[in-house]
Amino acid sequence: MSEHTTLSDLEAAIDNTFATDAQQASVDVVEPGIVTAVETLSMQQALNRALAEVLEENPKALVLGEDVGLLGGVFRITDGLQKQFGEDRVFDTPLAESGILGMSVGLAMAGYHPIPEVQFDGFAYPAINQIVCQVGRMNYRSRGTMPMPITLRVPSFGGIRAPEHHGESLESLFAHVPGLKVVSPSSPNEAYHLLKHAATRPDPVIFMEPKSRYWQKGPVDTSADGYSPEGSRIVREGKHLTLVAWGAMVARCLQVAELAAEDGIDVEVLDLRWLKPIDAEGLAASVAKTRRAVVVHEAPLTSGLGAEVAALITERCFGTLRAPVERVTGFDVPYPSGDLEDEYVPNIDRILFGIQRVLENRRG
Amino acid sequence: MAEISFPLPDLGEGLIEATVLEWLVAEGEQVERNHPLVEVETTKSAVELPSPQAGKVVKIYGGPGDTIKVGDPLIVFEVPDDTAGIVGTVPKEEAPRRRVRLTAALDDED
Repeated sequence: MSEHTTLSDLEAAIDNTFATDAQQASVDVVEPGIVTAVETLSMQQALNRALAEVLEENPKALVLGEDVGLLGGVFRITDGLQKQFGEDRVFDTPLAESGILGMSVGLAMAGYHPIPEVQFDGFAYPAINQIVCQVGRMNYRSRGTMPMPITLRVPSFGGIRAPEHHGESLESLFAHVPGLKVVSPSSPNEAYHLLKHAATRPDPVIFMEPKSRYWQKGPVDTSADGYSPEGSRIVREGKHLTLVAWGAMVARCLQVAELAAEDGIDVEVLDLRWLKPIDAEGLAASVAKTRRAVVVHEAPLTSGLGAEVAALITERCFGTLRAPVERVTGFDVPYPSGDLEDEYVPNIDRILFGIQRVLENRRG
Repeated sequence: MAEISFPLPDLGEGLIEATVLEWLVAEGEQVERNHPLVEVETTKSAVELPSPQAGKVVKIYGGPGDTIKVGDPLIVFEVPDDTAGIVGTVPKEEAPRRRVRLTAALDDED
């Protein structure tokens, strides 16, 4: 900016970081004509269903990535989609993540809505330059004329006894990048609706799928009646303490809440869902009620998203907090091999200890 | 159940095809990983191919004397959905176990 930068210039720059709803490319929506119902699906099936519907409804939507076509993805998320929609819309790429994202940027510029897959969390590193310097910035750089409607699916987090690069949690890396939105579903129903939502947005969304939850089944209400994809959601109400989690840690925190109830502690579980933008008001509303908070994530402690959550809660609830916000997280080491991951990922006892420290107002 | 197709790999360096000598499994047969599948002959040698995975054989391509090109389908397996092509293992759903009990007293406002 020039030396004559004004406040309105700065405001315009901020405005251009994200796309506006008006920038959403108009598409001819095919009337689904589906009789809606609640079905029991695994998260893998729910994601597959959502992708099929997005491809059906938006002729500009494309699915690309390593092994997503012929094989149907290593987790079968894209199973059958190439057969159904053809090789022009669901296609395999070379083993080069920078190319997958670079191609997606070009496709987005040309009016498509690419839905690339990076096969595993740890394979996103070779694409970081494209994600940070192109995906996140192109709308800003073009003064709001070139939105990047890219939905980047990343099978994420640990828990499946896989080798290096297959168990990492990159949410704070992505959340730190201006222009990106980041979301993680915690159940089949969330996966279905959040992916359909993300894949119709004009902004780039990093969609972090908790791979350890791919096979767990749950009810999916495809009607979307009363479903809101915005903000966080309370998955269990409680009055003594708020557990904040996302992805696979939500299910674990629900288990912890049931165990805490045996000891007379009524725990609220908040599924953050959007890791950027974070629903600060939802956090504040919950903690204003419970006055205590523990945030749980798999990623390393230092500069993890738990720090951001703790800051947001403290800024809004400092006067009512009974104790500092506690963080129960992975450790500041590379994600370990499968044999050690139960020691690394927050387990039930470590979360219970975190709750205990907050209840006693004792620093970890 | 999911089907996984296994194409004929390049059995040497730069080979383009192989000729089936004898199938060692039949359609409908359940095989374990590394079970011998088929004996094929290339321009370099005759080799026995081990199964790349466990599963039920649902289709085999080519009979004795037939030539298959590298990359063309050789065999199709049927496997359970939750083991299809996965890296790592499917986590077991277990009942939660605890060693820690909560003891803290709550205050008047609780």
